[in-house]
Amino acid sequence: MTFDAELTRVIELFQFPFMQRALLGGLLIGLMGGLLGSLTVLRQLAFFSNALGHSALLGLSLGILLGINPSWTLLPFAVLFALAVIYLFEHTKLWTDALLNMMHSSFLAIAIILLTQVEDYKGGINNLLFGDILAIQPSDLILSGVLLVIATVFITLTLRTQMLVTLNESMAIARGVDVAAQRHAFIILLALVVGVAIKAIGVMLVSAFIVIPACAARLLSGNFTLHILYSTGLGALSAVLGIVLSAFFDLPSGPTIVVTQLAIFLGAVGVSKLAANVA
Amino acid sequence: MSCCAVHERALQDEVLKVTGLTVYRERQLAIENVSFSLLKGTDTAIVGPNGAGKSTLIQALLGILPRQTGEIQVLGQPVSKQGKLDTRVREQIAYLPQSFLFDRLLPMTVQELVGLGWDRLGWQLPWQSHNARQRAIREALSRVDAWHLRHQSLSGLSGGETKRVLLAYCLVRPRKLLILDEAPAGLDVRSEGAFYQLLKELKQENGWAILQISHDIDMVRQSCDRVICLNQTIHCQGTPQVTLTAENLSLTYGSDFVPYRHSCRDKQGKG
Repeated sequence: MTFDAELTRVIELFQFPFMQRALLGGLLIGLMGGLLGSLTVLRQLAFFSNALGHSALLGLSLGILLGINPSWTLLPFAVLFALAVIYLFEHTKLWTDALLNMMHSSFLAIAIILLTQVEDYKGGINNLLFGDILAIQPSDLILSGVLLVIATVFITLTLRTQMLVTLNESMAIARGVDVAAQRHAFIILLALVVGVAIKAIGVMLVSAFIVIPACAARLLSGNFTLHILYSTGLGALSAVLGIVLSAFFDLPSGPTIVVTQLAIFLGAVGVSKLAANVA
Repeated sequence: MSCCAVHERALQDEVLKVTGLTVYRERQLAIENVSFSLLKGTDTAIVGPNGAGKSTLIQALLGILPRQTGEIQVLGQPVSKQGKLDTRVREQIAYLPQSFLFDRLLPMTVQELVGLGWDRLGWQLPWQSHNARQRAIREALSRVDAWHLRHQSLSGLSGGETKRVLLAYCLVRPRKLLILDEAPAGLDVRSEGAFYQLLKELKQENGWAILQISHDIDMVRQSCDRVICLNQTIHCQGTPQVTLTAENLSLTYGSDFVPYRHSCRDKQGKG
């Protein structure tokens, strides 16, 4: 098939409402992932997003076992997971990565045991693991849109506080910042974003949306505010580009977006090396 | 001036008042029954051996550590046991920590850090009062001779440059109380001289009260108005000339304490 014919096919594909919803959903999730991801990476919470993504399989499994829409159990589960992690951080003297590892392995194990008890769902595990962005519904778009507005307002209006908390918590406390409240608010917001993104990207790949655009942005910016803007922009760009490429080459959407993010990251490595050599 | 008038004047000038402060750290008694006050336009040093509770005292004053008993008042407003203080009073305090630990990969420029000292933290639009903010950053960085570093990343600064930039973070907005935890450590001789000159200006011209932890007994003798000798509890306090006797220092640091004097400063004094 010629390039023109292929292009016409892709343009026609985007006439379908499900593809338009996938594109808009990808854009919203890419923006949210990049925005929250910037602070997540700078606060060294990247592993938290990964652990939450994997543990969320338990939230989905509970919904399936109870015979209700898994989306209804996923978000409350994500928030409860975040609160449990905060509790363990603050009440045990154990290492963060060890605690997260323990929690996500255990939750994953419980989820798999639960899924084996559900006769009807054994075949659909791929959808849980890798998501299905083409199955995004209008209600998912509304939820993503509302969450993006909340995240944007929260980070914009508390930007200076977020910067000081990220830089040095003691200095923030000395200025009267309730660091614990800020930390809790951010982790709960991150849990909700990961929860919303899981339906489209799946539990295995969701943390890539949080981590990769933020890492690429860090290579391109030495300034905190610009880092957040670049990360948000790259998150959106990679999601839209990934969906278009997946349509063009007839590839699975979620993994194609993540590969696009990786390509952008490698591009950022090249640009940063080039800039260092010029300077 | 009558006795009551003198007392009222002293109360007006009282920037910090600490009464019967006791703090436990990791269930261990760190400081016990500490009482002192700071007046406007004065420089007070806290001296004592390592582990004496000097940094604990400062962290309790700032609300970083909770206290078990005692009262703290800043500009007449009480600090709660959980460290809460009226926001407008809190803005009058600047704090320079002993060790400024941060992630070396953090993307933050000098200008951004100093700007954080100017910002009133809370819910606000980041571009609010942009011009006034930029002017204040420029003045503060120029005052510590670091304007040329404004675009530099924090991770690229030397130890001395970091101290100067942190001081600009404190100076960027007018304050009434400056708390320094071994602030000059890491500065070279020239920068240290400029640092103490700046503290003198803040104290005399701007009326700031300064509370600093120091291990430099000679500097305390020369520059400070008052000294507090702390080793879990206050052993003595007063003017350095009267307080820093061999007997009091031995009491604070232990009986085998030998006061160290900078030989070059002694020679300069004799010359």
